Amino acid sequence: MTSMGYGAAQSLTAQLEQDLASTIDVAPSVSRRAVLGGLSILGGAALTGVGGAQSGDGGGGGHDHPDHGNFGAVGEYDSDEFDPHEFLTEFNTGDNGDGGDADPNEGVYQENGRTVREFTLTAVDTEIEVLPGVTFPVWTYNGQVPGPTLRVEEGDLVRVNFVNGAEEHAHTIHPHLKNLDPDMDGTPTNGPGVLNPGESFTYEWQAEPMGTHLYHCHTMPLKAHVHRGLYGALIVDPKPERVRENPRDYVNYHGPMTDELVSELVDRARSRNMISHPDYAPEGFTGVNEMVMVMNGFDTNFDGDNEVYAVNTRGFCYGVGSTDGRGNWAAGETKRPIQVDKNELQRVHLVNMIEFDAINSFHTHSQFFDYYDAGTTLLPTRSNIDTVMQCQAQRGVFEMDYSDHDPGLYMFHAHQSEFAELGWMSFFEVV
Amino acid sequence: MSDEPESDGGVVTHEESPTGPFGLPTVVAGVVPIVMLAVLVGVFLVTTPLAGLQSDGEPLPDVSIDYTTVPEEGTLVVHVTNNGAAPVTIDQLQIDDAYWNYEMSSPGDDRTLQPRESGTIRVPYHWSPGFDHHVTVMTAGGATFGETIVATQQTPGFDFDVVLTLAVVGLFVGVIPVALGMLWFPFLESMSDRWLHAVLAFSAGILAFLAVDAGFEAFELGRAVPSAYMGELLVVLGIVGAMLLLQAAMDWQSGGGEPSGLSLAYAAALGIGLHNLAEGLAIGSAFALGRASLGAFLIVGFMIHNVTEGPVVVAPLARSERPALWHFGAIGLLAGAPAILGGWIGNLFFSPLLGALFLAIGVGALLQVVFDIGGMIRKRGELLSTTNSLGFLVGLVVMYATDFFITL
Repeated sequence: MTSMGYGAAQSLTAQLEQDLASTIDVAPSVSRRAVLGGLSILGGAALTGVGGAQSGDGGGGGHDHPDHGNFGAVGEYDSDEFDPHEFLTEFNTGDNGDGGDADPNEGVYQENGRTVREFTLTAVDTEIEVLPGVTFPVWTYNGQVPGPTLRVEEGDLVRVNFVNGAEEHAHTIHPHLKNLDPDMDGTPTNGPGVLNPGESFTYEWQAEPMGTHLYHCHTMPLKAHVHRGLYGALIVDPKPERVRENPRDYVNYHGPMTDELVSELVDRARSRNMISHPDYAPEGFTGVNEMVMVMNGFDTNFDGDNEVYAVNTRGFCYGVGSTDGRGNWAAGETKRPIQVDKNELQRVHLVNMIEFDAINSFHTHSQFFDYYDAGTTLLPTRSNIDTVMQCQAQRGVFEMDYSDHDPGLYMFHAHQSEFAELGWMSFFEVV
Repeated sequence: MSDEPESDGGVVTHEESPTGPFGLPTVVAGVVPIVMLAVLVGVFLVTTPLAGLQSDGEPLPDVSIDYTTVPEEGTLVVHVTNNGAAPVTIDQLQIDDAYWNYEMSSPGDDRTLQPRESGTIRVPYHWSPGFDHHVTVMTAGGATFGETIVATQQTPGFDFDVVLTLAVVGLFVGVIPVALGMLWFPFLESMSDRWLHAVLAFSAGILAFLAVDAGFEAFELGRAVPSAYMGELLVVLGIVGAMLLLQAAMDWQSGGGEPSGLSLAYAAALGIGLHNLAEGLAIGSAFALGRASLGAFLIVGFMIHNVTEGPVVVAPLARSERPALWHFGAIGLLAGAPAILGGWIGNLFFSPLLGALFLAIGVGALLQVVFDIGGMIRKRGELLSTTNSLGFLVGLVVMYATDFFITL
């Protein structure tokens, strides 16, 4: 092919530009605008106001305008039925029960040489405030969305007494675990099938493999049962002894398994398991702040598209109460940033339960993290990323270190702009 | 037959008495059904016999966004009405699928609207000129109601400049064309009956076209009226009501006989005037909504369109005694000047309700005049002659053709 002279290239470019311009020209929005402002021919200067809006701030000059408008939901949350700030760090291991109605913990005990962790989950219909002033009728486990976070150790038997206390609908609990007994899968076709209102059943699950998992209702129509709030996180912590015995089961790594590496993996396992065993605190992994974040959304007008997006149910709940958009902000009563200690490692268990959208994502500002897909490995599956994408039911663990950051607000949100602006937008306040 | 007793099957009809049944005065007979109805309604309300049919469902919220204005850079104003049966609270607001802060003013000074109450929402939002912006309000139950602001433009305020501009526009699209058209009067007077009737039929065609055109517009606007007011039925009421009122007025004026040429000319001027008022409303409200897209060629279109209205208002006078000159002035102003008035009203108080009502009244007036012109031709000659039919058709076609110039 012969090379093209500058002149020819220039005329070709001009031609392409012309073509592009003429295609755009037929777009209704443009032709519609093309006739604007012609009236000034009659009224003289009288009408300059009409076309005036078109002049000036095309290059962003308008951002000097004092009333740029505050983005976000107005007002504070009224209802204290569900507190996303408490939920963030509330892990139920079976033995920390306070005996309250909504408390799922029933006890931890030995049976046939293995540890049993027993919980009670009750399906309850209720309403939850998903934006200040805006409530949504939800179907829940224990009256909260997401349901209680269950936290067990690898190898345990998880015994869940499920009571369907709902008024109308049948429900189940389907765990994302490696279960050997099909009857315990919580689907309409297996075991007890769906449980009608008033019925109950005790599920027994193997706590395998280690990782950050989830449970949800598996009654048809699935979309309704999941979207309405019947889901929660289920975290299986690694057993350090097992890691020492079979280290290869816990890594995505094919190189030589040195003693040093095994020791490192055991330390990492201990670190992951400090909620159940505070005494595990291994050297170099002390001071870990663990949080659970469930990405979800609510289709408040039932058109098959979410109006509210959130992490842990309430839109903008980890945002600021008010801001002038210039760094002057105030925390609200119910809308406030997540305060984190810069000297602690931040470990987040992230679960995507979004319905009606194919994917969701998590993005941290001014920060990169190590990501463990499904939490099933002790070495990161992706290192040094600031955005991770998850489809529904996908989950993972990520760890962040803010020790060298200046104190202040650091945003995190879904990197679907639409989701962010509809509620899935939050801040860490590093102190 | 004639000597049979005056009877219709046993009912005695000739026994007049000052009292009604049971010896009560007749006035009581008139009141009794009303009293019984009141008792029935009372019993119905007290005993609630339909309680068994009522479901647990609360009435659904129904909020309409009546219109939106763009008063200044960085501000959108949304006018909302609660059409539902229960109070409704505007809890959140989205612009282009993003939650946004706002201030709301309502009769109750909060974000709650009682049934049929309206409120105004001010949103500090940096809108982009020429872009579409979608506004969604959300109620406590999460129901959403939305409206798109098309090709957003700043709304000019109602100041002297705008008053003047709208007056100038009204003059150009209303008064001047009608006055020009009226200059054909001497020519009309010189015509033969056959051709004058054709011209009258042509006028009727123009009026009929305007009636249909404005009718469609009225129904379209009627759909935008908050549903509690049943906009479309209101339009029907307006059309029929205006037609009957005008008919009654003409009959009263002519003492039941054939309407005089002068009264028909005034009626036609009134119909056209109401039509021009609605046209002015459209122009004024387009200004108020920041949607004025009136290029110079649109003004020219309006002028050509409206010049045909001139002969319409004077044609009925061609065979009667030529009235005083001031009648011509009055007829012209009645037909043309409402365009100016409409512009001001439309700019100041625009609402779909008002717009639909004015349009409907105009349609009724136009239809009435069409029938009167038909009656006038029939009295003096043959209504459906070749020239008359063609004249009517030409009237329709001319209006259709000149309508191309006008796209508000």
